[in-house]
Amino acid sequence: MNFPAELKYSKSHEWVKMLDDTTALVGITDYAQSELGDLVFINLPVVGDAVTKEEAFCDVESVKAVSDVVSPLTGVVAEINEALMDEPQMLNESPYEAWIAKVEDITDTEELMDAAAYEAFIQQ
Amino acid sequence: MIQRLFLLDTDTTDPHHNLALEEYLFNTVEPGDCILYLWQNRHTVVIGSNQNPWLECRTALLEEDGGRLARRLSGGGAVYHDMGNLNFTFLVRSEDYDLRRQLSVITSACRQLGIPAECSGRNDILADGRKFSGNAFYQHQDRRYHHGTILVDADMEKMGKYLSPSPAKLQARGVPSVRSRVINLRELCPDLSIPGMKEALAEAFTRVYQLPAERLSPADLSEKAVAALEERYRSWEWLYGRPLAFTFQCAGKYPWGEITIQLAAESGTVTAAAVYTDAMDPSFAAPLEQALAGCPFHVPQLYQAVERAPISQEVRRDVCTLLAEQNL
Repeated sequence: MNFPAELKYSKSHEWVKMLDDTTALVGITDYAQSELGDLVFINLPVVGDAVTKEEAFCDVESVKAVSDVVSPLTGVVAEINEALMDEPQMLNESPYEAWIAKVEDITDTEELMDAAAYEAFIQQ
Repeated sequence: MIQRLFLLDTDTTDPHHNLALEEYLFNTVEPGDCILYLWQNRHTVVIGSNQNPWLECRTALLEEDGGRLARRLSGGGAVYHDMGNLNFTFLVRSEDYDLRRQLSVITSACRQLGIPAECSGRNDILADGRKFSGNAFYQHQDRRYHHGTILVDADMEKMGKYLSPSPAKLQARGVPSVRSRVINLRELCPDLSIPGMKEALAEAFTRVYQLPAERLSPADLSEKAVAALEERYRSWEWLYGRPLAFTFQCAGKYPWGEITIQLAAESGTVTAAAVYTDAMDPSFAAPLEQALAGCPFHVPQLYQAVERAPISQEVRRDVCTLLAEQNL
């Protein structure tokens, strides 16, 4: 399993890539996609949606279940990765390229882990 | 670890009420508790969370026949429910979730009845190589449910009638249903009844978890909270109006000429309509487009829109027939 060093990770298995102080890309980790199984659908948030840290902002359906994706940040959705609507399997194939949303105006962030800490966390 | 078992068996056969009750149990289940909820829906098609109703179900026909459409929270495909089908739901906190154990309640109950049941993949339970139980899953925050159907003596003809193949001219995103070879357990166990199946499940629940199960009664639950959820399950927005965009096209040939109707819909409402025709007098096209745009994508309402359009009686009649032929 792969956990790029330049990303930050949440306990609910999302990754965060800070683009500047108040803007970030959010996606799900390699661990999350492998636990979820083959993804068949994603309900993306809508541009302009306010998201709150530790609250669901999107949901995905895999062959196993419908599950929430939790926002690690408080901010506003600036962009969504619409390509995922047609190809949700991109979340399985390349979880770190398949960003879900770009969040801007970030005012709060949950406590995030670096790659080493996250790897230790999922091995617990 | 599971420390307490609860069993709820309801007589209500309204799918929207039953799904609301299921969600209420989901919202209230405590750590260490496992609730087994047994329920039946009369004459209902239940679609998965992310399915397009018109792709999966002949909604107009179902409605005409007095059936109901319902959308569940879990994923997966469309199923037909009637009083020959029994539904079960296991509701737990995430840390108490054990799919294998939950499935073994079903297979153990079947074996007790002399039916050799086996799990297949993640989602199906088979007997004699055919599926009698389809399972689906939902998780939110730290709660999970696993539910499924058990075909005891369902009307297979109706199952085929309402879950007929999708209209070819509807293009939509959504999760497709997977067709399976199915079997009613009554074929393998001729004396089996729904009450018999419920009893076998209740016994297997206690046997598998090695704990007594306390029976819940609907009176133990908050009627008000269930009613609020029920309203959502019954709403147009939940059933048809989810923000899944799709397009639809149909075409027909009549004495007055050929017509092609293209509709784009968003959240269950027609957002744009285009009418093409080679008729000598194509003046009906624009008013027909105007009548259809903004109309809910609901067959009776589409008819009404056509009926109200300021166009000739003949074109109106033929357009309504054309729409009726699309098996929406």
